[in-house]
Amino acid sequence: MLWFKRRHSNGKPAHRLAQASLFAGLSERELNILQGFMHERQFLPDEVVFDEGEDGQALYIVLAGQVSIRRHGATGEPIAILEAGEFFGELGLLDDWPRSAQAVASQPTELAVLFRGDFERLMDSHAQIASRIAMQLARYLGQRLREMVNKSASGAKS
Amino acid sequence: MRGAAQGYRAGPVVWAGIIASTCLMLFLFQKILWLVVPFVLALIIYYVLLPLKLRLVLQGVSHDAAAGLVSAGAFSLLVLTLLFGLPGLLTEAVGWQESAARYLAGGLKLLTATVNQLEGRFDMLARAHVGDELARQVADFSGHFAQKYLPGIAMTLAAWAPSLFLAPFLAFFMLRDGWRFKKFLGRAVPNAFFERTLYLLDQVDRTARLYFLGLIELTLLDTLCLAGGLWLIGVSGPLLLGLLTAVLAWVPYVGSILGCLLVVLVAATDFPGQPGLAYAAIGLFVAVRLLDDFVFMPLTIGKSLNMHPLLTVLMIFVGGAVAGVPGLMLVLPVLGVAMVFGETIGQLATDPRLRARHAHGKRLRDRLVTQDLA
Repeated sequence: MLWFKRRHSNGKPAHRLAQASLFAGLSERELNILQGFMHERQFLPDEVVFDEGEDGQALYIVLAGQVSIRRHGATGEPIAILEAGEFFGELGLLDDWPRSAQAVASQPTELAVLFRGDFERLMDSHAQIASRIAMQLARYLGQRLREMVNKSASGAKS
Repeated sequence: MRGAAQGYRAGPVVWAGIIASTCLMLFLFQKILWLVVPFVLALIIYYVLLPLKLRLVLQGVSHDAAAGLVSAGAFSLLVLTLLFGLPGLLTEAVGWQESAARYLAGGLKLLTATVNQLEGRFDMLARAHVGDELARQVADFSGHFAQKYLPGIAMTLAAWAPSLFLAPFLAFFMLRDGWRFKKFLGRAVPNAFFERTLYLLDQVDRTARLYFLGLIELTLLDTLCLAGGLWLIGVSGPLLLGLLTAVLAWVPYVGSILGCLLVVLVAATDFPGQPGLAYAAIGLFVAVRLLDDFVFMPLTIGKSLNMHPLLTVLMIFVGGAVAGVPGLMLVLPVLGVAMVFGETIGQLATDPRLRARHAHGKRLRDRLVTQDLA
């Protein structure tokens, strides 16, 4: 049983998660608890993380590397390029709505994944941590909404 | 690019696979029942203790220490209960044989009175001497009961006792390593199927948790309703009787019949010469069963197994035919888990985009590990 424990214990320090803006304000103890609910994945350059239109079930945090967010069929510049500390797929944490864009690793990339079911369990068992994450998420979505409103307002003026 | 998984509904092939795999699992489980029963008990203990463990983790205790503390607490509670409850239970046990004989005699008296009444009304029954034949068979059964059945029952209990001790042991490891096991399984899955696999694991866990916690809630509701009704009728030991019949109802159909028999025996003994009260107890039992099937079940277990009522009833019969009484008990949770697996595998198999992404990822990995080779 020791090999199992050794291999799957929190070998990596939880403060790797602290670089993510989503987890700002969480203490090291809370990050350690949160890490118990998260999964880590490695992607190669050009490997698809998720597709546009796919059922969203999880939120991804870039721990290392780079991820491009693209529209299906678009060949030009990606909508966004996300670096370490940034997160994407946040709506997958909230509802079943399909993914609005495709995410592709553009470098060797390491991602932390927070699955919706685990987030719901976190809300049940560790409401304080979950509410801080939800508050950060709400702030982020509010900021994006304001940006969109400003953009459409400036588009209407011009 | 939108995946075929969106709006997926399992077809007849997937459903045939789900039903066939449920039957196969029940057949195999019947063969290793000594392991399945402690495992199911361990799952119930695990889901009951898990919130306590998570509470400790929130306080800053590590997963391992929290699992140890919660298990030690539960074990201490069990030991204390046995320590204080066992002497009283052993004192009472002396009177159990006498009570059992008294209740059996009371039940037989009611049966004889009912048959005699029927013989008085129907000539055909009187000519067939149904009452005499019944009395002869009952006397034969009770006369040779100890000789014929007790050694077998004692042997079965002796064989089962050690395996039941596995339950707390398994529950401890589920509490300690369950979260690691989920990560362990997740790591084994290719990136393309990762989210779907997490969803599958989550659904299996959710189905099992809701089923077992629902079963406990259902037992409590049944116990309260039966105990209340029996107390109103005036039957002795209503709470214990209610609890026993509610636990017996875990076995579909067979358990309900045994529970009803138990209630009738007690009512007939408590009120000899008043068959009306025994019939009232039967009426109460039937009313609680109906309440259970149509109100409590959908509110508790039904939430976990979102399946058609006809399929549920048919599968209970199939479970009984394939694996006997254990099949009756296990068929619904096994079917629930098989449904989740079947539907997810059906989704993966019918989604060409996921398969293509997996092949693409594999090509990228192959290229990476072979780029320096000639």
